[in-house]
Amino acid sequence: MYDNPNLERKVAQQDTKISARNVQVFYGDTHAIKDVNIEIPSRTVTAFIGPSGCGKSTFLRCLNRMNDTIDICRVEGDIDLDGENIYDKRVDPVQLRAKVGMVFQKPNPFPKSIYDNIAYGPRIHGLAKNKADLDEIVEKALRRGAIWNEVKDRLHAPGTGLSGGQQQRLCIARAVATEPEVLLMDEPCSALDPIATSQVEELIDELRDQYSVVIVTHSMQQAARVSQKTAFFHLGNLVEYGDTGQIFTNPQDSRTESYITGRIG
Amino acid sequence: MTDSQHIVSSYDRDLEGVQALIIKMGGLVETAILDCAKALELRDEELAERVRKGDKAIDALMEQINEETAFVIARRAPAASDLRVVLSVMKMSNNLERIGDYAKNIAKRAGVLLQMTPIDGASGAVRRMAREVELMLKDALDAYIQRDPELAQVVSNRDKEVDQMYNALFREFLTFMMEDPRNITACMHLHFIAKNIERMGDHVTALAEQVIYVSTGKMPEEDRPKADSTPYEIHGDPMAGKD
Amino acid sequence: MTDATANSPQPKSSLLTVSPRVKQRNAAEARFKMYGIAAVMTGLVFLVILLATILFNGVGAFQQTFIEVPVYLDAAKLDKKGERNIDDIKKVSTFGYTPLIENAIFAAVEENVDNNPLTASKETKALISASAAAQVRDVVIANPEMIGETVDFRILAASRVDGYLKGRVTRDSIARDKNIDAVHLDIVDQLRAKGIVKREFNWAFITGADASESRPEQAGMGVSMLGSLFMMLVVLVLSLPIGVAASIYLEEFAPQNKWTDLIEVNISNLAAVPSIVFGILGLAVFIQFAGLPQSAPLVGGLVLTLMTLPTIIISTRASLKSVPPSIRDAALGLGASKMQSVFHHVLPLAMPGILTGTIIGLAQALGETAPLLLIGMVGYIASNYPTGPIAGFMDPNSAMPAQIYEWAKRADPAYYERAWGGIIILLVFLITMNIIAIILRRRFERRW
Repeated sequence: MYDNPNLERKVAQQDTKISARNVQVFYGDTHAIKDVNIEIPSRTVTAFIGPSGCGKSTFLRCLNRMNDTIDICRVEGDIDLDGENIYDKRVDPVQLRAKVGMVFQKPNPFPKSIYDNIAYGPRIHGLAKNKADLDEIVEKALRRGAIWNEVKDRLHAPGTGLSGGQQQRLCIARAVATEPEVLLMDEPCSALDPIATSQVEELIDELRDQYSVVIVTHSMQQAARVSQKTAFFHLGNLVEYGDTGQIFTNPQDSRTESYITGRIG
Repeated sequence: MTDSQHIVSSYDRDLEGVQALIIKMGGLVETAILDCAKALELRDEELAERVRKGDKAIDALMEQINEETAFVIARRAPAASDLRVVLSVMKMSNNLERIGDYAKNIAKRAGVLLQMTPIDGASGAVRRMAREVELMLKDALDAYIQRDPELAQVVSNRDKEVDQMYNALFREFLTFMMEDPRNITACMHLHFIAKNIERMGDHVTALAEQVIYVSTGKMPEEDRPKADSTPYEIHGDPMAGKD
Repeated sequence: MTDATANSPQPKSSLLTVSPRVKQRNAAEARFKMYGIAAVMTGLVFLVILLATILFNGVGAFQQTFIEVPVYLDAAKLDKKGERNIDDIKKVSTFGYTPLIENAIFAAVEENVDNNPLTASKETKALISASAAAQVRDVVIANPEMIGETVDFRILAASRVDGYLKGRVTRDSIARDKNIDAVHLDIVDQLRAKGIVKREFNWAFITGADASESRPEQAGMGVSMLGSLFMMLVVLVLSLPIGVAASIYLEEFAPQNKWTDLIEVNISNLAAVPSIVFGILGLAVFIQFAGLPQSAPLVGGLVLTLMTLPTIIISTRASLKSVPPSIRDAALGLGASKMQSVFHHVLPLAMPGILTGTIIGLAQALGETAPLLLIGMVGYIASNYPTGPIAGFMDPNSAMPAQIYEWAKRADPAYYERAWGGIIILLVFLITMNIIAIILRRRFERRW
């Protein structure tokens, strides 16, 4: 049944992009993430699901060291990106974040023009030699963000004037513009209507060709729709991690079962 | 029907509702199996007629189950064990409906056989076979209610016995027909009846497999014991006498 | 589905009739609205009364009474040698000019008033300001060629005369006043009818220097305005960068620990410290310890900077806080450094708030009097313009509120009127600054 090439649900054996070993996260005295081990393959959409406060967002933010900005947050254990420990002392988080882009829950375009929103990342990282280069990068990013056709005539209009779904795709395009290898998405559709959600989900599926996408979502249906791998977090533990099809039809752990079937876990 | 309740209690009621329908349908089918065999043995035209009419209720139940499961899928988007319950209910209702159809077919043939001279002992053997299938179905439904994959596995294994009974009847009918060609019509009907019961057994086995799938999330391996050897048997062949 | 509802089913109520309970609630709401409107109206009434009082009392300060007379600049008195040597002319003091002016006035009275009651030109002294001689002398020194000619002058009238025209001085009130007699008032009435005595707009009040206690008609706000201007320059140049830098560090970079908490609490407390405490601090530190000159706008500016800093820091931090964290996340998520995220994204968004806070802080500093008391800016008679920018910072001066305070405490009722007038000028400045704050905020916000 998996031989049908049109059904690409099964994850082909791919190299590991991110691997986390014995990751612990503390917020002050709170043990937020307990001993998480996970291997995230490249060119795959991996979904993190779990009830509120289970630590899925926290763990996601560990992957590009966004937790560094929180004073009381302490991360232990190793997280490797292509075999390099991102928590190594020599790693500058700024450089890391250029490689591991992030899209947030609420669309958060800068209060600048659409063009400047996209161009900001390439500018600060010096990716463009001249204006023509930058124009090209902006167009490419907007095309990859599946929003080029909607905004090509008003690149200098404010990004905040777009609709919610367009704003979120703009944010994805902005993240893509810095040529990342991994895209982290923290509930990217929670503020969007179903149509905009579908557009973003379609985009996520397209992005899978080139990036590892890790998405945190509260919508189990969304996880089931967009991801190939699913990880279920509960009370700071990684309870179950496996192929999405298996997690949603036959989870191995009773906590996963209770959660995805809508029972009190 | 697992250990805990859904947060949305109406979801529980929906799932319980479709499963109750399956149990009800199973009950009707059990009766139909027993009644058609009884009608055959007791040459009870009236009972046979009742079985034929009763099939309509079974078909209607299947329709209802299909509708209800479609609603549950559309409204609740079931996942994991809930998804398996809904899927299994759909398949089981199909299986039960097929069994019902076989029972109806048997009842029809029983009506025809009334006009013929009875074959000695045949209807008794058919009734034992039907009884066996009915017990299997009953156990399979119990296993479903109790989510007992082991009992379901036992049921599935018992299909072998039904197959053996069918083999025995098959040879017996062959013998009757060879003895006296006037028996051929009756024996052909009886053979189809036996075959129908054997097919019922297969459907009950499929049903038992659904029980295993519901409770474990996996389909059983395809190596259950099979004893229906008739496809490979050669009868009336000159060589047969030498066996 | 409790028993109570089951046993005693409520009579079906109609939506068209209002239940007593709802009526009560609506009445309470209506009452509350009335209280609110009453409160707002009370506030408005007080505001109107305040503004009306200020305008009523202060508007007079913008008008002044002048006497227009031709003065014969007698060469025999002003330049005895007749050489028109400027040094010789300068030797003649104001005492030399007074008789000339008195003669001119006397002549005017002789000509225009029936039955001139005055017997000697000396008696006209009550009509003219003591500053008149200096006024004429200044003109003559500037134009020595005028000597020997008769020139039309517009001479400041005495403050009693001014007061009479404005209604402040009446025939009853001068009964025991030895400066002026009813006779003089009769003369003023007649001269006024002839257009020799008249009230005109008084630019000197806005641009002029302060004058001594006995010459309220000459006093102006100009010099103390310059004092305030130099102080505000000091405050702006020091408190804006220091305040904004401190707030950015505390808000965006500083770790959250006991020390930063302590600093935070202290800043909040500093904002509530009485301003006179800053004054005594300035006296001790800037004047006594650092040896800076007394009464100087530089010192005043430093003291006001100390006072304004907490306001600016608090408002800047509030506007930095109000920038949604998602903007910071967005920038950091793209690989911007902390500093880039603050300076490229957070600060521009916080700018309207920072500017508003700064201007409000400045306005507060502009109206502050108490700290100036202790560093000697109150009580200083700001009668000379600063000679240059450096002198503007370093030379003793007064400031607008200090000037108003100074006038208000002087004995002559003519100064009372000028204090009100000063308040009008101060209010105009404050309103202007607030309008600038609003315009800046609008402009920055309208970028998107």
